[in-house]
Amino acid sequence: MRDRRPLYLMTPALGWLTAFMVVPCLLILGLAFFRRGLYGGIEYTLTWENIRLVFDPLYAGIFLKSAWIAGLSALIAVVLGYAAAYAIAAMPRRHQPLLLFFAVLPFWSNYLVRTYAWIVLLNREGLIVHLARLLGFEGELPSMLYTETAVVVGLVYNYLPFVILACYAPLSRLNPEVSEASRDLGAGGWTTFRRVVLPMTVPGIATGFTFVFVLSIGNFVTPALLGGGQFQMIGNLVYAQFLTANDWPFGAALSIFLIAIMMGLLTLQTFASEKASGGRNA
Amino acid sequence: MTLLSLQNLQKDFGKMRAVDDVSLDIAGNEFFALLGASGSGKTTLLRMLAGFELPSAGRILLDGRDIAQIPPNKRPVNLMFQSYALFPHMSVAKNIAYGLEMEHLPRAEIRSRVGDILETIQLSALANRKPDQLSGGQRQRVALARALVKRPRLLLLDEPLGALDKKLRGDMQLELKRIQADFGITFIVVTHDQEEALVMADRIAILKDGALLQVGTPHDIYEHPTSRFAADFIGVMNFFPVHSDGTILRADDGTQIAAPIPPGLTGAAIAAIRPERLHLDGYASENALTARVTALAYHGLDLQLHVETPLSPRPVILRLTADQAESRAPRPGDTVTLGWSARDTRVFPA
Repeated sequence: MRDRRPLYLMTPALGWLTAFMVVPCLLILGLAFFRRGLYGGIEYTLTWENIRLVFDPLYAGIFLKSAWIAGLSALIAVVLGYAAAYAIAAMPRRHQPLLLFFAVLPFWSNYLVRTYAWIVLLNREGLIVHLARLLGFEGELPSMLYTETAVVVGLVYNYLPFVILACYAPLSRLNPEVSEASRDLGAGGWTTFRRVVLPMTVPGIATGFTFVFVLSIGNFVTPALLGGGQFQMIGNLVYAQFLTANDWPFGAALSIFLIAIMMGLLTLQTFASEKASGGRNA
Repeated sequence: MTLLSLQNLQKDFGKMRAVDDVSLDIAGNEFFALLGASGSGKTTLLRMLAGFELPSAGRILLDGRDIAQIPPNKRPVNLMFQSYALFPHMSVAKNIAYGLEMEHLPRAEIRSRVGDILETIQLSALANRKPDQLSGGQRQRVALARALVKRPRLLLLDEPLGALDKKLRGDMQLELKRIQADFGITFIVVTHDQEEALVMADRIAILKDGALLQVGTPHDIYEHPTSRFAADFIGVMNFFPVHSDGTILRADDGTQIAAPIPPGLTGAAIAAIRPERLHLDGYASENALTARVTALAYHGLDLQLHVETPLSPRPVILRLTADQAESRAPRPGDTVTLGWSARDTRVFPA
């Protein structure tokens, strides 16, 4: 007879996930097909109206905008994070844990505090403007706060540690003899990086990119604080539907599409890493 | 003709001297083995030849040109790594083609050279496999092909057979030797396995603490070790503590041992004799010794006898061929008379 103990051990976690994750998701899914009540409640008549509305150019545009911001943030974070991870992995082994610790340190402080810090840095009388003045920059400086750039800067900053960790893992596992073999066979440093190191660390890049993208596209704090309501991202839209517009069914429909996009990406990333590692236990 | 000439080569890592004043000439088309225990400096020496370490002093002349400062991607030298270091994301054929692509050869030439070498190593059928879909022996052959296909002046092999099981290792020793002869490329193999070095190499250099201890053919090294270390390191050797007064050798118990004494050797010394040079017809020999059999070890081809003698605290090992063993195999507890001739005895300072 098979040992059933592993099943018992899984039960609490499964129960927790079922109660607080699966059930709410199903409720949201159901909600999306009902009508909004006249005064905010829910009218239990089935309708496709909410789903149709998601594809309305106004809302689809917000989806696209969010995807653009998330994609841009993920791209910048991957470039910066990969470089940092590469540098850390190239350091003497005994220094690496400390460097990683410093790279991840900001992550342990409060998300809101970190985001507010950028308001201090970016506002019209902020540190960056002062610095520019000190360097002799004259005239009226455009405010950097409450722009798309500010949102991207905030997202990149907040999720960079994720990317560093994700890229560091495969980089530090790389057998140095593989890079040496490439040099030995006649490749220069850049060719070795492009044809050997980079392809072998794609899983880390994919993980880092997906994480930043998924966390960014649904983010509503950073766009609210650093975007200053100048534009909405999909997270803000969902937030507004549930908490200000009181249109729960439409909020639910938006959420479902957001979740679907995230799930799709995560699945894709899982398959990509699986394929890149060729079934190896990399 | 000398292909590679190492002149007073030295490498220091901080205060540690990894390679100590090594001078060595290696001829074109030679199969050369660098033999040493771990920490003997053999891998550091190899990495200097490949270009991954800069010498602290000395010169590396390849075809008369000093290549010590030339980066690894610019020397006509290739290295087969101990871990094989295959590119896991490339197929077998892509792995092999990589080095040729770096030379910017025409596609057609790359394809035909990769095809040819795949045939040589008998892996044509697996050209599109990824390295992790291959067995250890197949991976080893791909690594060899990837380095060989570049037709280097010099091929370096770092413990090439270290990861293979014993049976395969035996086959590959001969296979490597055949490939080396076919391609006409100089091979330098680093190994800690003395048997491997004896089987494969035209010449062997024994390294100890970063310095060359002895260089010679396998026969020289086995039959005429110049130091106690070399005698002990290569093959099996029996040692007796002795005392020399310049003309006569005596064991601690007074037994006289007939042996060629190196000129000027007096005082404490060590006499050494190979197991296969001992026999059981002691009465007819220059050296004879009564001994008691303590153990028998059957090895198929031969029978190893462990005997106790008054001369040495360690058991003396004696090797009988299968024929000898069949006609008169002693049993544990038997008393036998060991014999050996003076010219088979080597004497070293203690």
